[in-house]
Amino acid sequence: MFVAIIASFHVIASHLTVGAAWFNFYVERRAVREQRPELYEYLRKSALGLLVFSYVWGAMTGVGIWQSTTAGNPRGISTLIHNFVLFWGSEWYMFLIDVVGIIVYYYTLGKVDPKTHLRLALILALGGTGTLSLIVGILGFKLSPGDWLHNGEILSGFYNPTFWPQYLMRFLLMQTITGAWGVLMASRLPRDFPERQKVIRWAGTIGLVGMAGALLVGRYWYWANVPARSKALLSTNAFPAVTVDLLIGGGILTAAFLLLASWKPQLQSKLGAMALFIVMFSTVFGAERTREILRKPDVVNGYMSSNQLTFTGLPARGIESEEAKLNRDGVLGSLPFLPAADDIDSGPSPEYTDHRVAVGRQIAIFECSGCHSVSDQTVIHLGDNQLALRQQSALLRKISANDEVSIRAILDNLGAYPFMHAFVGTDEEKDALAAYLAATVEEQQGPPRRCRRPR
Amino acid sequence: MEVEDALRMMRDPLGAPFYPRVFQVLLLLTWVVHIYFVTVAVGSSVTTIYGFRRGDERWLRLARSCARLTPSGVGLGIVTGIAPLLFVQVIYDPIWYASNALTGFWSVIFIIVVASGYTCAYVFYLKGSADGRLLWSSVLGLALLVLAGWIMHVLASVSIRPEHWREWYAPNGVADTRGIEFHSFNVARVAFLLPLQAAIGTAVTGLIYTWYRLKRDDADREYLTWVAGLSRRLGIIASVLYGGVGIAWAVTEGADYDLTAPMAIALGGVGLAMAAFFAAHRDPVGIGRRALGAWFASLAVVAVIREVIRATALSRFNYDVGSYPYRVDWGSVAMFTVTTIVGVSIITYMVMVLFQSGIGAGERIPRSIDRLGRVSTAMLGAWFAFFLLVGVYAVVAL
Repeated sequence: MFVAIIASFHVIASHLTVGAAWFNFYVERRAVREQRPELYEYLRKSALGLLVFSYVWGAMTGVGIWQSTTAGNPRGISTLIHNFVLFWGSEWYMFLIDVVGIIVYYYTLGKVDPKTHLRLALILALGGTGTLSLIVGILGFKLSPGDWLHNGEILSGFYNPTFWPQYLMRFLLMQTITGAWGVLMASRLPRDFPERQKVIRWAGTIGLVGMAGALLVGRYWYWANVPARSKALLSTNAFPAVTVDLLIGGGILTAAFLLLASWKPQLQSKLGAMALFIVMFSTVFGAERTREILRKPDVVNGYMSSNQLTFTGLPARGIESEEAKLNRDGVLGSLPFLPAADDIDSGPSPEYTDHRVAVGRQIAIFECSGCHSVSDQTVIHLGDNQLALRQQSALLRKISANDEVSIRAILDNLGAYPFMHAFVGTDEEKDALAAYLAATVEEQQGPPRRCRRPR
Repeated sequence: MEVEDALRMMRDPLGAPFYPRVFQVLLLLTWVVHIYFVTVAVGSSVTTIYGFRRGDERWLRLARSCARLTPSGVGLGIVTGIAPLLFVQVIYDPIWYASNALTGFWSVIFIIVVASGYTCAYVFYLKGSADGRLLWSSVLGLALLVLAGWIMHVLASVSIRPEHWREWYAPNGVADTRGIEFHSFNVARVAFLLPLQAAIGTAVTGLIYTWYRLKRDDADREYLTWVAGLSRRLGIIASVLYGGVGIAWAVTEGADYDLTAPMAIALGGVGLAMAAFFAAHRDPVGIGRRALGAWFASLAVVAVIREVIRATALSRFNYDVGSYPYRVDWGSVAMFTVTTIVGVSIITYMVMVLFQSGIGAGERIPRSIDRLGRVSTAMLGAWFAFFLLVGVYAVVAL
């Protein structure tokens, strides 16, 4: 959830840098060719906004995604780094061009000749598109590693099946975010400013065209390349209905706003454009959640599961499946940070006095915490309220799995759920996990309610 | 499980895509650039607050310039920090990931701290730097930046002590997944790397500023001479302290790894050398570029010392970067090399344009710079053709 929130900020900020750079290049080119210096007033406002908000916040939230995924799922991010470090390093150069570029662009407005400044605008647009080009391959790899799963070649993983459609789709989607940005920046100009309505109309039109194009590419090219197993997940209860509402509602509102901007530019206000950004944030949040769900239960589809184990191996790179060995030898004592069962203390806390429960807690932290809140330590307390994401005890209570026997039966069949992998480890470890989960159901959810007998 | 086995198992099975020593060198080089901008952000922030508190005209003028510099320093510090963050994960993945997990809470909120610090600094620059209102925003921004530096210090410190990870992860045998404790730190090290480097970095930047502004026809020579003198005095005092605290770092953390003597000589020497440099230039007005060169050389020494500490700490468990598994991937190497050439050309061009604009020559950019602009922009355009061609090769031939 935390990653998705940061990622939504990042998507808005980073997509904006690319789209807005092209839009600014377009506006500046008209300003130079048609000798309309008044357009520079728009460019000044837009560049300052981009400098303060978009570029630096884009960079910070990018690092934020890194930090939070590093803490939450280090082996997942490690797989990406060890495949694509030099692509990421290349993106870093493009990013430097972006950040140094916007600083130079803003601070030289009106201080260098128009031709040189127009070239800076073009460099910014190209640099931004370069960052997009280089990150899309890494993003797409997680969902559709394609031939990499067979040949282990980094280039195959980068230019994966969803790379090309996603590249085009995101580029078009950027124009939508840019349209909203253009309206916001132009609506900050005085109402009687000569070019205000014209810029709003351009921005609205470009945003609409981008949105229509992104929808078409997404539906007919991107979706066709999404793995079938991932598509099937959207019809399970792993995909909450509220996400659909966010996507459809946000899309309709955005389209309506942009249509109004290009049709009646004089009606646009700063407040309306800011409200649209909130709507777009919610929509992007829904899209990011969908992207996460599509990969379930894996971090890298078909290679590494969300508990950070490689379940298929990669023979082309000499990597064996970890699951087979762990099913034989057990997870405890076989992996770093997972002590052997004999080394686990039941500790001073009264709820873990039973050694088996203490062992089960350790297994739950390892196997389940990638997706579920497994103990009170991962619950956020806000006064009397608590926020626990996909809390195991609550989910078990929901399906009336209140005791060890029923929970053990569920663990035996975990792999039958399309969004879960089978339990990894020995039967004794599975028993211990069932004991811990039964203890947490009782502790966190209270005694099970019984149905009243009809009179 | 023994620490040595754990470290070996935690290495990514994919290995590095190029010779690991190259990543080690890139890690050091990019850290130098990163730490320069980070410490300038902190130092300029302190100067802003001090200048507005002093209140006389020259200090106010300097404080306003520094208020403008702080957010740019933070922005560039973040962007240049991405590269060392990348390279450390390639060759030191076990220790970096372990320290992030053990300090999970702080690792996750790190970026919120930095972003809030940046926002505070920008709010002050945009809304308060004209008349000194909202100075609290600058103070809060500084506090948050220092906290961010502290978090990074703790992450580094935890990472080189794998022998303690187990007890930190599961005190009393019960796993603690919150990651809220600052498990390890060294006050001398953090004082050396943050406030003292910030002071010297700010002094050097003051000298660069003086050198640069004097190129303008309308330069205020008297004010700039004052800034240069102030930077020199700050440089001398901070460098002496830098050497002293460096020795304290050697005596404390260095002693843990039998590195006291080499660290004391190197760090004390760097402090003395920088102090001597500042002291030797009694007329500091034109020494900006030399000062920057000397400072980068000193930071390079510090980068090597940090690396020696890390390598020595891990060698106790037979972990060595040189033996990190790798498999050269020429596609990645080609992409990185081509992008490096294009990126360096474009950035050089843009910095030159900014330079010309700043000295009032923006309307008549020299032809050589214009030519560089034409060529590098064309190279950037051609990069896309290269990128797409590599993609076609990957799809068709692999």
